[in-house]
Amino acid sequence: MSNSILGPYTRTIVTIGFIILVFGFSFTNFRSDMYVVIFPFFEWMETTWFGIIGKTWGAAFAFVQTIHLLGLALLGGSVLAAEGRILGLLMVDVPAKTIVNRCHTLLSWSLIITISTGVFMACGVALKIYYLPVFWYKMLALMAGVMFHFLVRRPLLEHDLETINPIILRMTAVSSILVWFLVAATGRWIGFSG
Amino acid sequence: MNELIYGVAVWLDDTTYSALLHESYYMYNWVESTHVLTLMVSLGMLFLIDLRMLGYAFPDVPASKIADRLFVPMIIGFVIMFITGILLFYAVPVRSAQSLWFRIKMVLLIACAVNAFVLHRRMSKSVSSWDQDSRAPSRIRVGAWLSLGFWSVVVICGRFIAYDWLDCIRDQPALIDFMAGCIDGQTRY
Repeated sequence: MSNSILGPYTRTIVTIGFIILVFGFSFTNFRSDMYVVIFPFFEWMETTWFGIIGKTWGAAFAFVQTIHLLGLALLGGSVLAAEGRILGLLMVDVPAKTIVNRCHTLLSWSLIITISTGVFMACGVALKIYYLPVFWYKMLALMAGVMFHFLVRRPLLEHDLETINPIILRMTAVSSILVWFLVAATGRWIGFSG
Repeated sequence: MNELIYGVAVWLDDTTYSALLHESYYMYNWVESTHVLTLMVSLGMLFLIDLRMLGYAFPDVPASKIADRLFVPMIIGFVIMFITGILLFYAVPVRSAQSLWFRIKMVLLIACAVNAFVLHRRMSKSVSSWDQDSRAPSRIRVGAWLSLGFWSVVVICGRFIAYDWLDCIRDQPALIDFMAGCIDGQTRY
């Protein structure tokens, strides 16, 4: 990234630009226009095999939801183990880099499980979740979590942890816990909104 | 036995706090959400420990260290889940006590506890010989697989409790009625 046209602050500039784009999207008519444009996609989701299976057999939907929960458990465990290590609360006698790298692998797998099962579930209730504000909050939180983890946290933690400002490290760890907790909580909230 | 369980459940159902909890707009949701979200703590830590035994996580960290360091947060998570689980049962005691999924879940929780005890004992006796290995010996791995399997079915059964497919209010085979603890002529569901 230091060889890019934007120089050594490429990631910072890209992040700020992305935040500006998100605000521009959120507070202009573009958001409501896009909301109407994606409606046919949600209609189509319910006609897919996933949608038909999810709507016809409640047991299949519930079973996939359970796999989603188990993936969430693995995600929670990997996040708490890694951030607990960074915050000096867990496994302090194990090198932090080891814990962080191993947990990254586990988090990646748990994301694959939760996102794939989430897509299946979404197909089964596509038109319901289209009208649910909390579903969109969850998607925002998920997008924030994925981007934060892969574009901010992971590149930061590739450096030697001793060279990173301890306050920045702790803020990163706490932010990671909060954003993934937000994803889980909004997901639970969907269950109460139906 | 089923009559006894039904009697106790009806007695609990008649208590004031059971009705308050069941009919509360926010409290029940908070308790249930805490029960589900604490999965991330308790089962998350447990999965890391089991995956370490199987060689799929932290293969370069001593197994005993993973088990020791993650034990406390796992127990904290389980205590919270236990308390919220009792509250959830207390809110809807009759339906919960007569839910086949709930009964299977309770049996499996006992199986999980027994498996954890056996696994812990086996580990304590032998860990010094394989602690640095990326995978535990086969006897420990079997325990880890059983742990993962039992807990996965616990979560499945917990999710299925919400569905009324096998509830006593429905017409179903006598065996299901017996296993779920349905009582002939019961007036409370």
